[in-house]
Amino acid sequence: MLLRLTALTKRYPAVTALDGLTLEVPRGLIGLVGANGAGKSTMFRLLLGLTQPTEGHIQVCGVDVAADPIEVRSRLGYMPEHDCLPLDQMAADVVSTFGELSGLPRRAARQRASDILDLVGLDEARFRPIGGFSTGMRQRTKLAQALVGDPELVLLDEPTAGLDPLGREEMLALVARLGTFGISVIMATHLLDDVQQVCDHVVMIDAGRLVVAGETASLLDRTGAVTVDVGRHHDELVAGLARAGVAAAVVNGAVEATVDGDQQLDLVRDVVADLGLPLFRLSTRLTSLDEVFLRSAGGPE
Amino acid sequence: MSAAAESPGARRGAVYDRSYRPYEGPRGRRAAATAALYRASIRRALGLRRSWRQKVAPFVLLAVVSVPAIVNVGIGYITRERRLPIEIITYRDYVGVSSALLLFVALVAPDVMCPDRRQRVLPLMFSRPLVGTDYVVAKVGSITTILFAFSFLPQVVLFVGNMLVSDSALDYFTGHLDVLWHVPASVALLAVYYAVVGCAVASLTDRRIVAGASVIGLFLVTSIASAVIVDNGPDRGPSPGSPGALVNVLRLPLYLRDLVFLGHVDPASPLGGVDRGGMYAVGLYVAVLGLGLGVLWRRYRWVER
Repeated sequence: MLLRLTALTKRYPAVTALDGLTLEVPRGLIGLVGANGAGKSTMFRLLLGLTQPTEGHIQVCGVDVAADPIEVRSRLGYMPEHDCLPLDQMAADVVSTFGELSGLPRRAARQRASDILDLVGLDEARFRPIGGFSTGMRQRTKLAQALVGDPELVLLDEPTAGLDPLGREEMLALVARLGTFGISVIMATHLLDDVQQVCDHVVMIDAGRLVVAGETASLLDRTGAVTVDVGRHHDELVAGLARAGVAAAVVNGAVEATVDGDQQLDLVRDVVADLGLPLFRLSTRLTSLDEVFLRSAGGPE
Repeated sequence: MSAAAESPGARRGAVYDRSYRPYEGPRGRRAAATAALYRASIRRALGLRRSWRQKVAPFVLLAVVSVPAIVNVGIGYITRERRLPIEIITYRDYVGVSSALLLFVALVAPDVMCPDRRQRVLPLMFSRPLVGTDYVVAKVGSITTILFAFSFLPQVVLFVGNMLVSDSALDYFTGHLDVLWHVPASVALLAVYYAVVGCAVASLTDRRIVAGASVIGLFLVTSIASAVIVDNGPDRGPSPGSPGALVNVLRLPLYLRDLVFLGHVDPASPLGGVDRGGMYAVGLYVAVLGLGLGVLWRRYRWVER
C-alpha cells in the first residue's frame, strides 16, 4: 500500500485544513483533486513530515511518518507548486546538489542529474543558469530535482501550473512515463482533465474532507447516454428521435440521446440513416471527473 | 534500451533510449545530506561554479589579510644578514587582522543564507532527509571553515616564512611551539563567533543587502557605543580599561584571543585592568554565541514555508 491515512486531522488556529481523513491508496499514479484551499498542500506537508497532524496517523510506503520522517523523506521526491529554484545556478548543479541532499554520493548524484535532465528534456540547457529558463523549463527542472534521488513516490503539486497547452501535454506525458519506471506519483491539482488523462486512481477532497476515492475508470461510469454529432442537423435528429420514442436534447453542439440497451442504440443509428444525416461521431458518454466531483461534493456527507 | 535488429548486410547501428535507471548504490541519511549542504555552501561562498564576479570578493579578501604576513616575511628575508630582530606583526596581532574578515562575513553570510528563503528553496531542502538543526550546522559550519582557513593560512605563511628566514629553522620551530596551538585555538574562536553572529543576523531577513548592512551595522554601532562608554567613564587612574568595552561585540573574540595567548586580558586593551574582565568576556562570548544559535534554531525549527 502506498498511502494509509487514519482519521487524519490538521487544525490551524483559524482553519481546519484536513478533517478526519481515512484512506488507503495503492501504488500507481494518483490524482489528488480539490479546489484551492481544499487541503492538498497541507496533505503534502504532512506526508513529508514537515508538519505534525493534530490527530491521526500517516503511513507512506509502509513507514510511519511520525516515527521516522527522515526515512520517509529519503523515499520521496517533492515538486512544489511555487517557484523554488536558485535562479543564479546552473540546472546541472542544482539537480546534482539535490541528489546529494537526497543521500546519493557526489559522483552518483552528478551522473544521475545528467541522466534525469536528459529524461525531462533539458539535456542541452543543463549548463545554463535557471534564471534564464522559461516557465516550462523551470517546471521540468523542478521535476528533475524531485526524481534525482530515485524516489519510490513523487509528490507533484500542480505540475502543469502556468504551462501553455503544449507544455502541459509534455508535462503530463512525462508524469505518465514515471508510472512505467515503477515510480508512484501523487499529483495534486484542481484540473480534473489532467487527472483524467494521467492518473489511474483519484482522491477527491473538499474543505479538508474526503469526497470520493477510487480507480479513475470505476468513477467514470457509463451514463446511459450517447453523444451523436451530425454537424448542423441536430434539430432534425432530435425531432426524428422523438418520433421514434427516444428522448434527446442538444448539449454543447451535439445531440445527447438517452438509450436503454443495444436495441435503442441501433434505433438511434437507424434514425440517423433514415434521415440521411452525416454522422461524424456516435459515442457513449462517460461521466467526467467534474461531474463526479460536483455530484459527490454536493451530496450529503 | 532497444537496438535495431541486426541482419546480414545491414549497417551496424543502434537507437538508444536511456530512459530511467533506478539507483541501487549506497544512500546516506542526515549526515550525508548535511555534508552535501555544507559543501554546496562552501562552493557558493567562494563563488565556485559561479561567475568570476562572485569569486572576486573572497579571494581579494584572502589576499588582503595575507599581505602583512608576506611583508613581514619579505622584510625578514631582506634583513636576515643584518641580524635585526624585526617583527612587524606578532601572531597574536595577526588574529586581530583577521577581524577584517568581518567584511567577508557581511558579504557571504547573507549570500549563503538569504537566497534560500527569498527564492523559497527551503521546502525543497527540507523535503530531503534533513532537519533544521542540520541546515544550521551546514551553513554555520561552511562559513566557519572559510573564516578559519582565511585566518589560519596567512599565519601559516608567517610561521613558515619566519622559520625559513631565521638563523636556525629548528630553533625557531622549537622556540615557538606554543604558537602551534595558540593560533588555531584563537582563530577558531574568532571564526565560530563571526560565523554564528553573521548567520543569525542574515537569517532574520531574506534580503542580502539588508542582512549585510545589519551585520556591519551591529558591529559598527556596538564599537562606537563601547568607545563612548569607555572614553566617558569615570577616571580609573592608571588602568585604561572599563567593563563598557564588552559592549563592543566586534572586539569580544579578541579578548579571548588574549586569554589564549597571554593567559589574561591585555592590560593595554579597553578591558585591561577590569577585575575579572577575562571571565566576563568569556561569559559574554558564550552568551552571544548562545543567542545567535538560539535565533538560528528558532528560525529553522519550523520549516513549513
